[in-house]
Amino acid sequence: MSGRLKFAACFAIYFLAGTGISYAQQQVIGAPPEALNMKLVGTSDLQARSAYQPTIHHQGERWIAYIGHHGGSDEIPAPVNPQTGKAEPNGTSMVDVTDPSQPKYLRHLPGQEGKYERGGAQMVRICDGKALPKGDRNAVYMLRTFGGEAHEIWNVADPANPVLITRIAGLKDTHKSWWECDTGIAFLVSGAPDWRTRRMTQVYDLADPAHPQKIRDFGLPGQEPGSTGAVPTELHGPISTGPSGNRVYFGYGTNKGGILQIVDRDKLLNGPKEPTADNLRLPEIARLPMSAFNGAHTTFPMPGMPIAEFARDKDGKTRDIVMIVDEAILNECNEPRQMVWFADVTIENRPMMISSYTVPEASGTFCERGGRFGAHSSNESMAPVFYKKMAFIAFFNAGVRALDIRDPYHPREVGYFIPAITAATDKRCVRIDGKDRCKVAIQTNNVETDERGYIYIVDRANTGLHILELTGPARSVAGLP
Amino acid sequence: MRRWPVIVVAAVVLGALSGAAAYQHVAPRQDEREGGWREIAWLFPRDGWPAGKAFRCDACGGDVAIYVRPKMGFCNCDRGVADDDEVDGVADLDLMSEHFAPLAPGEVVRVADMPGRIRAYDLKMSDGSRRAAIGIAVSRRCDLLVAVAHGKGDVPNMRGAALEFLATNEMTGWITAAMDGR
Repeated sequence: MSGRLKFAACFAIYFLAGTGISYAQQQVIGAPPEALNMKLVGTSDLQARSAYQPTIHHQGERWIAYIGHHGGSDEIPAPVNPQTGKAEPNGTSMVDVTDPSQPKYLRHLPGQEGKYERGGAQMVRICDGKALPKGDRNAVYMLRTFGGEAHEIWNVADPANPVLITRIAGLKDTHKSWWECDTGIAFLVSGAPDWRTRRMTQVYDLADPAHPQKIRDFGLPGQEPGSTGAVPTELHGPISTGPSGNRVYFGYGTNKGGILQIVDRDKLLNGPKEPTADNLRLPEIARLPMSAFNGAHTTFPMPGMPIAEFARDKDGKTRDIVMIVDEAILNECNEPRQMVWFADVTIENRPMMISSYTVPEASGTFCERGGRFGAHSSNESMAPVFYKKMAFIAFFNAGVRALDIRDPYHPREVGYFIPAITAATDKRCVRIDGKDRCKVAIQTNNVETDERGYIYIVDRANTGLHILELTGPARSVAGLP
Repeated sequence: MRRWPVIVVAAVVLGALSGAAAYQHVAPRQDEREGGWREIAWLFPRDGWPAGKAFRCDACGGDVAIYVRPKMGFCNCDRGVADDDEVDGVADLDLMSEHFAPLAPGEVVRVADMPGRIRAYDLKMSDGSRRAAIGIAVSRRCDLLVAVAHGKGDVPNMRGAALEFLATNEMTGWITAAMDGR
């Protein structure tokens, strides 16, 4: 064979192999899910509604999954609810997952009309009435957003027949709030009309959900009404450690210019409330500004983590860690990689990034699969089964990733699950030469866990809910039998 | 005769020529002048979005410069640039100075057939001097195009000059290509 012929043959083999790999990674209907040390237990199609956030609640003898939805799509603004036969704007799904292998869809509670982020009821938190200081002991309260215009509280003691309790309206946006069930204090991600940012915090006392008491508005100096100059990046969401931890960790930015803000909860609640720059600065302990390339979508605190490597050190054996998850926004890798960061905040006024994690793109040629590739969110349950041992990260077209975080200085992936697509999975498009080019891929949006050790992932591209469990070595990391 | 190297060289040359032609088609030339505008360097350090294009106008009165760039991936996909707060936050005024104050409520505007808002500001520069500025933010679905013009002249003149420049064929062509990711 001549040199030229050899070269041509090698080129052809390389080209064909490359094409084959590319096709092999494109998801097709009917193909099995891709998994390592995680397996599927049960599914619900969630009426093919785009899902944002699942919250799992142990309610009497039952386990109920509450799933918040985005608004509908251009093609299907209000999917038909098979239970009512009516077209309903996306809202909240309530699913009985007591037997996770046979989830029972109980009720769809419609949300605000509107498509994508404009409508629906993305966020959901649950508190038992008996846990709240002034709640009805027989009630179970669901706090949810109503599109961008309101927060609502429903009594979901009977999740198939929710009853509206109250509504906080007149907002220009909402997002992922936090509600302390033992105190009733809620950090509501709102858009107060007079603030200079789309999303900021409204602190409420929801100890008696029927009578919400506003405590104060909060945000970064420069966002408050009447200020001028540069406007700091908008809030994504807070997580509080309650009165005992006395800290609230706020994440600002989604995929750009992220900020982790560490706030003294007591000063936030009891300090001067007028929204002046000085009053907004007062409860702040420290900030960790991130690269302009990355946002702070979820800021998940894990105080007092024992670090095995430091066990024989005289000081610093335990560390206060905050896991920061960015959100990928653009399809097909048209932005810097959004991933997971671990910050050591033990020395609070000098928080420091110590490690990071991302899915290796080449492991699934994820930039070519379609849709978003990158991190979005982590589980937020602090139940002992996984807390400070394992974290689960929703990674859009790379499904959910299970991390061993016992040494947060060296987080390690120990499992993953990428659901199969179905006929309901919606397309995701990019602009090529002025025209849309679309692909269909899983878009795992959010993940949550329950106290039993089940993992719940929901899909932004309408593929529904997948309930998973760990297997093999990943199971032993969590100490599960 | 060995034809193989000739074919390779020809392919490379052809590719380079067509690439250069495509670039000339989408990007205004460095030395191009349109109503007194000339392209200058993008002076700002790297931030969350790639650098855009910068131009100075010597004939617009008052040393006017304009900075234009797309910001792909805008959270407010459905409402677009809904209010003046949005312009304050996204229009790159902070690249000029952290200290700026609006002079008046903004107005709706269209640039390259995209809707949005335009607003006038007073900028306090780091040396204490003051400049007038115009912030523009328009959107298409989940993507933004932002422009900020500043100068020593009066606001109406600067606003007119900036909008006229953005409406030229060359700039409209570049904006359209940039918003399409080309």
